[in-house]
Amino acid sequence: MKKIIPLCLLFITLCHSHGAAAHAVITDYSLKLTPIHANNPAQVELSFNSQIELGLSQVFLVSKGDKHQLLQADTGSKQGQIVVHIPPLAIGDYALRFKVFAADGHLTEDVIHFSVSE
Amino acid sequence: MAGIADFLDSLIGGFDLICYCLAIGSLFWGLFVLRPWHAQDGYSAVLLQKTVALLYKGGFWLAAAQLFKIILKIWLMTAVLERWPFPEFAATTQFIGGIVRTVLTLFLAAYCYRYLRKNPFSKQHWLSAGLVALPMIISGAWLVHGAGRFENQFILMSLTVIHQLAAAAWIGGVFQLVNLWLLRSGKQIPAELWPLLLKRFSVFGIASVAMILISGLPIALQYIDTWNGLIGTGYGNLLMVKITLMAIALGFAWLNKSAVSAYGFSGNSHALNNRVPYYVEAETFVLVTLLFTAASLASQPPAIDIPSLTANWQEVLNTFSPQIPRTSSPTHTDLIAGEAGRVAIVGQVPSLAATEWSNYNHNISGIFLTVMSFFAMLSYVRKPGFEPFKYWPLGFVGLGIFLFFRSDAETWPLGPIGFWESTFNNGEVLQHRIATLLVFVLGVMELSARISKKPNTKLPFVFPLLAAFGGLMLLTHSHVGFQAKSAFLIQVGHTTMGIFSLILACGRWLELKLDRPGKDIAGFISVAALFQIGIILMFYREPLY
Repeated sequence: MKKIIPLCLLFITLCHSHGAAAHAVITDYSLKLTPIHANNPAQVELSFNSQIELGLSQVFLVSKGDKHQLLQADTGSKQGQIVVHIPPLAIGDYALRFKVFAADGHLTEDVIHFSVSE
Repeated sequence: MAGIADFLDSLIGGFDLICYCLAIGSLFWGLFVLRPWHAQDGYSAVLLQKTVALLYKGGFWLAAAQLFKIILKIWLMTAVLERWPFPEFAATTQFIGGIVRTVLTLFLAAYCYRYLRKNPFSKQHWLSAGLVALPMIISGAWLVHGAGRFENQFILMSLTVIHQLAAAAWIGGVFQLVNLWLLRSGKQIPAELWPLLLKRFSVFGIASVAMILISGLPIALQYIDTWNGLIGTGYGNLLMVKITLMAIALGFAWLNKSAVSAYGFSGNSHALNNRVPYYVEAETFVLVTLLFTAASLASQPPAIDIPSLTANWQEVLNTFSPQIPRTSSPTHTDLIAGEAGRVAIVGQVPSLAATEWSNYNHNISGIFLTVMSFFAMLSYVRKPGFEPFKYWPLGFVGLGIFLFFRSDAETWPLGPIGFWESTFNNGEVLQHRIATLLVFVLGVMELSARISKKPNTKLPFVFPLLAAFGGLMLLTHSHVGFQAKSAFLIQVGHTTMGIFSLILACGRWLELKLDRPGKDIAGFISVAALFQIGIILMFYREPLY
């Protein structure tokens, strides 16, 4: 019996599943108001609800076929804001996939979809 | 590897809070409940020894947990960012605050081990321990939710620390009550200490709970600004779970207090010795789950930040609305065909087959549990012809086999990926495999317990323990890969089932421990909770994604 309970607890511990912690969320992004036009470089502002450790964060451009390209990102003018530099893009559907480390210690992954038009 | 690190990261949060309650709660217990410098209370050396041991062991474990958290963060970041996170990580508040807290916690634990342990009756040493704990308690402020906020940062950090402190005083005190009863039942302390300290803790516990509410309310109002935010977000949902668990725990606390009061009036110690200890054990189940829920809450975005992703009450209610269970499954070919589109980032196509596959799994599991709970009710009838119903746990064995085939459709035996390859190369599949085995083993064990002829077998206690931890899993389980609103609509069903799992566990535990009529009431509540879980699963509908 003494061995059974720890064994069961071990099972449960191993079974316990928890997704990526998701405290930092996007509260606003400039793509809502400023769409990206084809073949022009652009800057996208991402505003988070928490302070972000930029050095420990990554933003990727995802294009058709889920091809990933790491983008350069800088600190924005407001708290919790980062500015992402987008290269010239052809017309089509894309996504920004980001992995950000918030000041409260949570690592968050999320995706924003957008389209590039004329 | 990221999956394992992430999984451990979520566990360590709850473990950290348990250790915190053990260390800080024991300190409060010594300072305000035990007050060992009053020699006339007749404390034995073993009581003080055990009390202080819980304090410093809690402290050492807390320091280890804090350090392990940092290591896990490094591991997780290395896996997710695919690079070594230094030197940037060394400059973060989390790293610096975590290291400072580890050192301060070690200092507290070392002081208690080195000095308080040898002078447990000394008021000066207890007060010194309190002073040594103070910087550690304050240092925790930089590691909480509020530390990353832009507004009212200082107030939120302070309130959260007070909230944690009050929770530690209550929950750590309950841990000490369990310790006290173990000493009492082992006749290592005088019998009169049990009612004396229970009575003292009742007053202290009420003050702690009042402080939990006073500090918690402004935090809740800061993070949740609408009723929909409370009802329709993951943050609000987990807060409601916390409130529900707290209400259950307070229910047990009220039963304890009533028993102590009754003993004061009548001098009859029957309830005090034959019911209260088991209520305290059940309360411990609830409070440990509450701590893991609190840790899980800290990983949710506050409702105030996600107004556009908040579900309304009609959508929440619809999750529980009765529907005809899905008894036909899409074909495996249809499911696999839709997977590439479903998991794509650009050009994602929701898969109806995946949603229906999942609905079928949940609904059939619900039918299993509902039928089992019905048979379990019938097994209590002491009339000829009803004996076969005692085999109702066999349903868990069947459910385990069903889940084995259905959980991971892309792997063996249904999919192309081999058993060993899928089990050891994919953390999620590994967890499903173990969960399946767990359900299977649970059925075998509970069946053995129900048909066992041995009067003193401990086997029946495995079921409530597993059910309690199963509830804990459901309450802290989040769904990756969904939009926040979809994830919440799935979460709300799972957290409700988590609460019922805990009720099932506590009910069964008390059924095994209490005398009549409490035993019968607890047994009925337990089976009714299993029935409710079955009903929720039977009506489960997953959002299309």
